Amino acid sequence: MANTPLNQVRFTISNVVDVVKARRRGLVVATEMGLHPAEANKIAVVISELGRNIEQYAGEGVITLTVYDKYVEIIAEDQGPGIPDVARVLAGGYTTSQGMGLGISGSKRLMDEFEIQSVVGKGTTIRALKRLR
Amino acid sequence: MEELDGVGAASTIQKLESLLLVAVPRDLTDRDVLRLRRGVLESVRRYRSRWVLLDFSRVDICDSFFGRFIQSTARMAGLMGSEVIISGLQDAVIETMVELGMTLPNIHAVLDLDDALALSREQEQQDGGMPAPGVEPLESWEDEVVVASPFTNLSEV
Repeated sequence: MANTPLNQVRFTISNVVDVVKARRRGLVVATEMGLHPAEANKIAVVISELGRNIEQYAGEGVITLTVYDKYVEIIAEDQGPGIPDVARVLAGGYTTSQGMGLGISGSKRLMDEFEIQSVVGKGTTIRALKRLR
Repeated sequence: MEELDGVGAASTIQKLESLLLVAVPRDLTDRDVLRLRRGVLESVRRYRSRWVLLDFSRVDICDSFFGRFIQSTARMAGLMGSEVIISGLQDAVIETMVELGMTLPNIHAVLDLDDALALSREQEQQDGGMPAPGVEPLESWEDEVVVASPFTNLSEV
């Protein structure tokens, strides 16, 4: 049953402390599920980057971390303003506030699969997947 | 829920020889990070520190905002004549930072506090053996950390 979740946690993000709590919990869960510390670290950083995005641009949203047998999936959803130019965000160097302009593009590099679905005025869903080796 | 030791917590900033030793806590919010940077700059001015040592040994998650904090602190401290050393980066953090695409130009990196002290002392000797501005020689001797040496042990046997 490759698609049966082994563990799933949901984080509601509406402020900066929520972001810190979510990435800490993400690190703990990933470590407890037996991921290598470096892989668990990447999961935590991606949760942090996506959480910051939600907090800064949408105000609130939800991140779901699901651990499967062969991969880890992170889904970040919000009903914020949406991303007008997804390609530019994925290419990196696009920053409207703080960060190194690496938030999204860097997260994409840390993961094996990364997709953004965004509708201006409706919201954004980001799905990121890391295969376990 | 895990204990968050950094949220709202004050960071430890201490003077050690010509180093400003900054023990960076984990779990800092972006707001805490900006507050820490201001605290570092204030202390560089107060102690006339030639070196800022950012000790990252407690930090186990370093995202792009944190990376920007390191970069910007180094640039700002540089405008005060101070150089930044980072120490204690964990293996997992290093792997993530590099794969994330983070670059830290003009920043010295060492494994631990001993190496940071060695680097700052060596650099100051090259600069003419003068103590850092504002550091009184007597006081710096008293504050000096004794680094364990095999020769000390041999002489005691």
